[in-house]
Amino acid sequence: MENNLIDIVKSLVKTVKAIQMYGINHPSAKNFCVPFYKKLTDFLKNNPELDLQIEQFFILHADEIIHEEKEKESSIAFRLFRNGIRNINFTEGLSYDELLLFLETISQFSREQDIALNLWEHDFTHINFYVVEEEEQILDYKIPEIPVKNIDYDANINEIINKEKIDLNAIMNPDLAFEEFNDLKTEISNTKKLLVVPLGITTLINILKTNKPREVIESLNELVTQCVDNNDFYNARRIVYALKQCPDINPIEKFENETTIIGFQNMINTSSKDIFDEFISFIRFFSKESIPHFINLMVRIKRKNRLLSLRSRIINIARNDPTHFLKYSDSKDAAILINAIALLGLMKFKDTLSLLQPLMFHPNPLVRIEIITALENIGQITNIAEFLDDGNSDVRLKALQALTKIRYPKIYDNLLRRIKSKDFRDFEFTEQKEYFNCLVASGGKEVIKHLKKILFKWLFFGRKKYTIMRKLAALALVNINSKETREILLHGVKKRDKNIKSACEMALKQK
Amino acid sequence: MTSLYYALIKAVQVYDLNNDVVQRAAKKFFSYINSLLNIYSRIILVRYRDYIFFNKQRLRFEIDGYASLQFIHDKLKKLNIKSLIFSSGIDKNEIVRFTSIFKEEKETFLKQFSEKKFNHVNIEFSTIEEELSDYLHDGERIKRTYFRALKTTKDLMHNLGTGQPVDIRSSKRVIYNLIDALFQDEFGLLALTTLKNFDEYTYNHSLNVGILSLTLGQRIGLDKKDLVKLGISGILHDIGKVIIPKALIYKSQRLTDEEWETLKQHSYYGVKQILKAYGLDELGLISMIVAYEHHWNYDGSGYPAHRQNQKPILFSKIVRICDSYDAMTTPRTYVPIPYLPHLALKVLWKRRNTFFDPILVKVFTRLLGQYPIGSCLELSNGEIGLVIRQNQSNSDLPIIKIVINKDEEKIDGIIIDLSVQNGLKIVRPIYLQKYGINPASYFV
Repeated sequence: MENNLIDIVKSLVKTVKAIQMYGINHPSAKNFCVPFYKKLTDFLKNNPELDLQIEQFFILHADEIIHEEKEKESSIAFRLFRNGIRNINFTEGLSYDELLLFLETISQFSREQDIALNLWEHDFTHINFYVVEEEEQILDYKIPEIPVKNIDYDANINEIINKEKIDLNAIMNPDLAFEEFNDLKTEISNTKKLLVVPLGITTLINILKTNKPREVIESLNELVTQCVDNNDFYNARRIVYALKQCPDINPIEKFENETTIIGFQNMINTSSKDIFDEFISFIRFFSKESIPHFINLMVRIKRKNRLLSLRSRIINIARNDPTHFLKYSDSKDAAILINAIALLGLMKFKDTLSLLQPLMFHPNPLVRIEIITALENIGQITNIAEFLDDGNSDVRLKALQALTKIRYPKIYDNLLRRIKSKDFRDFEFTEQKEYFNCLVASGGKEVIKHLKKILFKWLFFGRKKYTIMRKLAALALVNINSKETREILLHGVKKRDKNIKSACEMALKQK
Repeated sequence: MTSLYYALIKAVQVYDLNNDVVQRAAKKFFSYINSLLNIYSRIILVRYRDYIFFNKQRLRFEIDGYASLQFIHDKLKKLNIKSLIFSSGIDKNEIVRFTSIFKEEKETFLKQFSEKKFNHVNIEFSTIEEELSDYLHDGERIKRTYFRALKTTKDLMHNLGTGQPVDIRSSKRVIYNLIDALFQDEFGLLALTTLKNFDEYTYNHSLNVGILSLTLGQRIGLDKKDLVKLGISGILHDIGKVIIPKALIYKSQRLTDEEWETLKQHSYYGVKQILKAYGLDELGLISMIVAYEHHWNYDGSGYPAHRQNQKPILFSKIVRICDSYDAMTTPRTYVPIPYLPHLALKVLWKRRNTFFDPILVKVFTRLLGQYPIGSCLELSNGEIGLVIRQNQSNSDLPIIKIVINKDEEKIDGIIIDLSVQNGLKIVRPIYLQKYGINPASYFV
């Protein structure tokens, strides 16, 4: 026995044990792997292969025992033998990575692991092995005898030829044309990309159309979970829709708990719009009982448009029953309260106003803003106007925007009065601008006359302070965009008053 | 490597050795083998049976590079070369010099090889007799694998039929063993599919379909992982039949419409059985899909009902072909005399584009040859030979073993390669059953 062969096997055993102790990536394990690879490849430089036989407690080469270890728990030979591996063969060309993968595979501890199966799956190029089954024996199989029968075999051949209309002279040319070759390659490459789960789902759904076997229903039910776990809400939705025909099963029930729904938070903030849209589509199957959990989920959404999508889907799920929103109408958590208010507004529930009124003085301006939106949704304009005197500019601005959107003529005089008041000039520009927008939206024909008056107002004192008013009036006129407003602005351009002139010029330019 | 060498041989056949085309092809080949010689001390191409081995690894006949590998194989065979060895130190000129004689006929080649000195190219020769004598020996591992697989298939189907737990690990191991056997000697494995058992039709048939599917899958270049899925799917394709009453499966009279409808349910029962046994992992899902689709036709017809534009997956199309071929060539209660293999192949060929995928039928025909293994041929000298091997480049001239002499007596005759044997012609394929001989007995 060559000394280096004994050394290689010793090194193999030590390396496997080191990997078992430290794990393949640990530096201590690497300290064994590298020299083992070197010894093995040095051997393979001079020998075309290294063939090792495996017996219960031994590793042999050319029928000579090189390594022996009879302790079952620690014996590498025993573990390989137990898995049916009887021979391992290393050939020249072996790479370090290939060897590492091999060592990692044979170092597996667990009895559950099938080392042979795992080795097979790696499909090594320079490592071969031979596996037998546990009860390997010469299987006694008797070849079926064929008794000589009095049959006219030639007639049988003719019968087949006639029945199948076979033309014996037809040439069968099995050469693939270039296009056929390419088609086949494409099909193989598509097969590699094949998504088995969706295809399996299609098959099972097909079966459901004609049969309702328990196995198929249960499998689909299991696949919904798989799909949801993988954020594949498209297929989850297909399954749930198909299972609607089976009244005995509710595939959604298992998701309708707080942990699962709150668990959707990472997915709901995903960068993929498609996944989010599919999710929204999927949750339409959820029951009203899940609404409280979705309200909790809403506070975790980062994007406004997604929040709005989820809210409208929840309204859909609620089907005119506000019970689950009402629960939260006195929540101390402002974020949850805001979502409850928004949902009440979206639902257009008839008693929403009475529920909202006590909250109109809520200390949190964000709550008050949401109330405005809700009032806007249910068309309670009078109550919105009350917010024009709110102490928070954002709330006032939201109220103005809502009134602009609604176009409420009854507020016109109130707005005009506020614009003409001295205090108005102390407002932020954004709010001032929104006042003018709202004025235009709620006014009738008289609005042009009033804007013209503001634009051309003659002042002896405080002209500079009034400049902003002229600008806002000019902008409002340009937004009306009629022949009359254009003429007013063109007329303003010719004015000698520099402020009026520049306000009109700026407005026309912006147009 | 074989593709590059093929390109060089072709260039040498057409152009002068100094021509740019030859020089470029030689440079490419040289640069490739040079890179291999950095990894391996020598490059050894061995021709053994119908295969080429590169440093002990068998090169697989796949559609990619099929032509070049086949060409090199045929060339080595014609020159009686058993192994061709390139060693370190070889240069481009030596490669070109060797290739220029490699294209020649046997006598010229032998003469020139001994005259011109090649320092880094070595050759070992063999004789046809040596090679042929080897064909029916060996293969013990393959046989063992086959019977192990047969037992596992039986256990699997029996357990499913009786509602007992199924040993999935064991079925996976069987498939891997079959794949190993396939990579070792696909024709040796194919030969075992000639084993047809009238009494245990379903088991034998299931395994044979699995093996035929694996062989076809390997030929089109599927990797090991896909072959595992295909092999299991092939074996399980008819698993739904364990639910169908045996009396119906083995009924010898023509089935009534109602019985036929019941039998057709096996695709659907197959899904149920596979789900029960394999669950929803990838292997289970693929097998389930194949069990459901394996009677879908290429033109959109077939059962179970589906939309015409719903196409079966590649694996289902492969199993569809192999299932039909094995069913046709196997005796069943209602068809006691099976189709001769070449007629079954002609039926597949005729129904390509309607029942079967035409491209896959072509590959299958190329794989089995005009006279598939197990066919019996009446020869022009009155003897009868059993096809034991294909000649991939001469699919109408296989390697046969004489089993019946001119006097119609059973004999343990010689092996003949019809592609190199002059004067002997094939008269027609016949039934060996006529002589009470089971073709499988020669392979098992």
